[in-house]
Amino acid sequence: MSSPTRQKVMRHIDIVGQLQPALHQPQHAPYPDEVNNAHYRAYTRMSHDVGGEPDVPIHFEEKQEEQWEHNTFITCEVLAWRGVWNAEERRRRQNVDVGQMQYLGLPYYGRWLLTAARILVDKQYVTVSELSDKIDEVKKRYE
Amino acid sequence: MSKPQFDREHHVKKATGIGDPQCFKGEAGTAKFKVGDKVRVKDLADIFYNRCQVYTRGVEATVAELVYESPPAEDEAWDNCDNPEWFYSLIFKQKDLWPDYPDTFANDTLETELSERWLELA
Repeated sequence: MSSPTRQKVMRHIDIVGQLQPALHQPQHAPYPDEVNNAHYRAYTRMSHDVGGEPDVPIHFEEKQEEQWEHNTFITCEVLAWRGVWNAEERRRRQNVDVGQMQYLGLPYYGRWLLTAARILVDKQYVTVSELSDKIDEVKKRYE
Repeated sequence: MSKPQFDREHHVKKATGIGDPQCFKGEAGTAKFKVGDKVRVKDLADIFYNRCQVYTRGVEATVAELVYESPPAEDEAWDNCDNPEWFYSLIFKQKDLWPDYPDTFANDTLETELSERWLELA
């Protein structure tokens, strides 16, 4: 089924397949005429929409979820029960708002946990200052 | 200081004892497509959030079922339930989706759900 749309879509899938998180790739923000439509679409695409990207098989490890992962899941569910977010808003934040680099670079429940903190800050239930103080306090317990 | 107001109870008031998406039944109006219709997936702009897989864009499919009425993902992701839409279960031919799909499996299909805004009559 070939059409201009399909050609664009297949080319897009090829390009996003080449996007990878990088620890350090110095690059200047490009001048506007250095970004064409195809690249704009690739940069702004939804990071969760990975279907069809060329990739290699990955190693699957049969393992139990860790305690912090269970705790994270429960925390996120409680936020839903309290009406702080619904499942779609949670998925938007975990899978798309985090951006391509964090989506590919962080563990699954790492994104859940980061997002649980983020929604509380975004909706002003806690401030970044309070969060930062708490992280500092907890860190000191382990020093 | 200014602080935004979030209504944390609107959904629980609507859905408790009924369920979601059942609580949106009757709110999407007349469905634009019916079972058996040939539709094509629109290639709408990817602004901030949606759940329409890019590999389906521009491909034709057959409507298998009108599954439910619900706020589309694009709105619900910001907690907006004002404009529920019909959701359709669609059957695609794998050969239409993937240019290199082998002829040996020409009858293979893929079924997925999309909301009405993504579809037009083929």
